[in-house]
Amino acid sequence: MGVTVLQQFPIETRTGPSTIELLSKRISALGAVQQGQFLVDCETYTSTPALGHQRTVHVLHNSEQPATVFSILETGQKTIPLATDGLFDLLMMKMSGFYTSKKQTKAESKGPRYEIGDFCVKLGTVTVSQNFKGILVEVEYRPSVVPALCWELMREFLQGFLGSSVPATPPAYLQNRMQELYTPMDTIHQYLEQFTIFRKSPGLRP
Amino acid sequence: MTSPGTAIDSLNAALKCNIIPNQEYLLQGSVLDQYVEVLLHRLRGLCDNVDSGPESFHDHELYFVLRATNTGGPMVLPLRVRRALDVPDAPWQLRYVGQQELGDKNRPTVVRSSIDMACSSTIVEFLTELGCRVEFEYIARGYMFRKGRMKITVSKIFKMGNIANKSGEGVEPISQSYLVELSVLAPSGQDAIAEDMRIFAEQLRPLVQLEKIDYKRLGNLP
Repeated sequence: MGVTVLQQFPIETRTGPSTIELLSKRISALGAVQQGQFLVDCETYTSTPALGHQRTVHVLHNSEQPATVFSILETGQKTIPLATDGLFDLLMMKMSGFYTSKKQTKAESKGPRYEIGDFCVKLGTVTVSQNFKGILVEVEYRPSVVPALCWELMREFLQGFLGSSVPATPPAYLQNRMQELYTPMDTIHQYLEQFTIFRKSPGLRP
Repeated sequence: MTSPGTAIDSLNAALKCNIIPNQEYLLQGSVLDQYVEVLLHRLRGLCDNVDSGPESFHDHELYFVLRATNTGGPMVLPLRVRRALDVPDAPWQLRYVGQQELGDKNRPTVVRSSIDMACSSTIVEFLTELGCRVEFEYIARGYMFRKGRMKITVSKIFKMGNIANKSGEGVEPISQSYLVELSVLAPSGQDAIAEDMRIFAEQLRPLVQLEKIDYKRLGNLP
């Protein structure tokens, strides 16, 4: 478990699969070896009117932590994270009278997972309710858990295969937490932010 | 390389194969304080963890309820949160316990649905903001024994004293006795375990009488 940076990669005039292929070639040329596939998904539930003011629960899964369910509750004033065992999904079914999911918002990022030295790279094809939305690149630097200590190194690595699409500053979510210990929940927060942006964006051709 | 299935797919597969332990078989009883040592001695002899001795616990439990009134009438979802006061770094426990089924006289134990999971300590704030309210809370201190798949707990229940007193010291016991529970978590349909429990409960008589307790007869509990 290390520090993870998640960013969108512009597909420009390419298609989704050809963008993944392009990035796969680049990262393989650097010496990365594919180690399976990954999947991060997100289902969003909103409270029924009977519960009073509206609250939203985002339930996410990450294949990197397969036994854990991550939930983020948004009340409007507060954001509360929760990590539980897999059976939390069963509990959400019990809550169906209180919290209902909007099926058309189910978001997913999945694709190949590479390892290269101390880094783990994931090239994700993002879909929102089966519609292709874009590409998310996740890079994890595993030896460190303090973002401030490894951001510069990670930026250099990212630029090495993503080129100029890498911003000079860390993602907004990390900027406020540069000196804190990074946890898997922070990766989940970054995915949720990106999924929220993709949900609002118009669809793209695959 | 095959892509990983979604977590929901694996959960549905697990549900279909009936491998999720979501049923609790339960018998309850009590023993007066002055006889608890005799019972503990008997349990030490009967149970598996002979060498290591019984495992002690000191837990704080909060009982939350999520309520709402929909067109279909009132809905109630009870949720219990437990944390170990003696192991502050341990994960917290979140548990849904459904309506208990007493069944007919031939069924040896109470059966109730149960979803039990470890969780992070943000659970209290999470449930509160989700809309749940605390109905009651208590502290349970005692011993846990194992016999095969069966779990036996002997616990003293304390009222929550001063809330500021997080360590759980100086709290007041609610009675002059210990609560004794014999339970197994298993996938549904494994009724044979109930028979094992009945036989084990027989071996504890007359020290403690483990029975199917009908809560409806005890007053208005949710």
